[in-house]
Amino acid sequence: MIIPITISTDSSSAKLPSGLARISHDEIVLVELQGALDVGDCHPTERNGKLVGKLSIDDAMKKPTLLIGHHLLEGKVAAIPKPLAIMHRTNAAAKNIGDDMEVDDETQLDDSIGGTRGGNDGQSAPEWTILGLVKKKIIFSKRPMPVIKRS
Amino acid sequence: MPDFDLHFSPFSTDEAASYKLIELPSELVGLLENAIQSSDPLGLVIKGDPTEDAVLCTRDKTYSIRTVNLSNTLLVVTPPPDTEFNFAEDAVVIRDQLNEILELAPAVPRISKLVGRLRGREYDETNEEDDEDEEVDSDGSSRYTYTQAREEIQASDAELDVCLTQKRILIIKDELRPISPSYLNNILELTAERPRDHGISRVVSSQVLAWFGEIQGGGKWKMNEDEVIKELGLGILREHKNDDPIEKGAFVAKWKLAVGDTFADRVSLNLLAGNYLEGRPVGRIEHEYLTYFPSSTLPTDPAARFADLFLTRTKWRVEDITPFLSDIAVNNKERDKLLLKYCRAISESGAVWYTARAQYNG
Repeated sequence: MIIPITISTDSSSAKLPSGLARISHDEIVLVELQGALDVGDCHPTERNGKLVGKLSIDDAMKKPTLLIGHHLLEGKVAAIPKPLAIMHRTNAAAKNIGDDMEVDDETQLDDSIGGTRGGNDGQSAPEWTILGLVKKKIIFSKRPMPVIKRS
Repeated sequence: MPDFDLHFSPFSTDEAASYKLIELPSELVGLLENAIQSSDPLGLVIKGDPTEDAVLCTRDKTYSIRTVNLSNTLLVVTPPPDTEFNFAEDAVVIRDQLNEILELAPAVPRISKLVGRLRGREYDETNEEDDEDEEVDSDGSSRYTYTQAREEIQASDAELDVCLTQKRILIIKDELRPISPSYLNNILELTAERPRDHGISRVVSSQVLAWFGEIQGGGKWKMNEDEVIKELGLGILREHKNDDPIEKGAFVAKWKLAVGDTFADRVSLNLLAGNYLEGRPVGRIEHEYLTYFPSSTLPTDPAARFADLFLTRTKWRVEDITPFLSDIAVNNKERDKLLLKYCRAISESGAVWYTARAQYNG
């Protein structure tokens, strides 16, 4: 079995705001948290689109903060020892991607390298593409501090 | 300080597990960056059966893939995708939450499957008139093609081609046929005698010539003398397996005769490293004797290979064992790691000897 991996050269997709784009990649930023995001939802799709919190970063890229509810996390921008390639699967089988424009853009770029198996039927084989390389990440490793907002 | 609303992606459930992070060894970083800059498709593939450990192949190298679990969570954050959702100006979304990364390590191409598939598919002078359209031969073994090998064998394209050359496998109308050693020897002798009029099919002779030299423009062929000399030496050595060792001096003399006067002084046992064992058999201790012992028939799994090597001899000197490890270790450092893992080094009579670390009893 061969899974071809294409390299995405699509430069028309949206870019991150400049404060985040400067960190490593203009379309993707990696944020590392200790533990995981625990969402109290009854149904997995409930969280789609929901606000998590506010991410900010100072101009010098030294003090990123993340405010989730009443918790303020302080972090830093750290270099990733070995750069990470971000690989994304397009054409997820058996899902109705519908209006997702990004997927269409990426599949147009797939050359038939090494016999791409992606067919034209609804259940096409998943295709993987490398969106880019990331060399720095935002990491929040200190304990969150409680904050009380004056509203 | 600018701040950005961080949301879950509107397609969060669909997008979960659609991202993977791959940790790149230094040589791949440069390769990928250049490819992204120059829109070079790069030909990266992941290969493997559901039963095998996947490998990642570039055009000329193979890497093993290992999943490393992280105690922290990595969020993949991007600008929001185009949807009807109303996001604020500078909002960003979490597309995926990851707790593992894929680590790549250079690996030896896994070609043992190829050898198994080609058993019984040898090609010699009786096959020259074969009907190539038959799926299954009269003895029941089925065809295996170059195209199939490229898809199934966990090796990069360049490494697969090198393997076919080294193992002397012909490609006849896309089908892979290992050449029979005696047929190969005949061809070599014939082409040396009658370079233009040897009567062997073009398809076969051009591949054989490519194995043993360089085909240059204008119908010229630059012979790789060492390869030819080595093959002729192997031809003689193959007759002398464990039950019939040949005395070292006698072997070299026979070899020089086969090679002819011009190249007689290039004959050297170094050319056959990894294909023979030297020793003094019981009852013949006055001279060194050689036996045919090719590393290509040894297991590719390191534990099994060392078990075989120590069954053959209980202790080895470093220079004697290393030729039998060159095809399972990517470089000298990896080879030394294998020696450390599977052998115990002892000092005896002023030299270092390796013995088995575990007891390999039958």
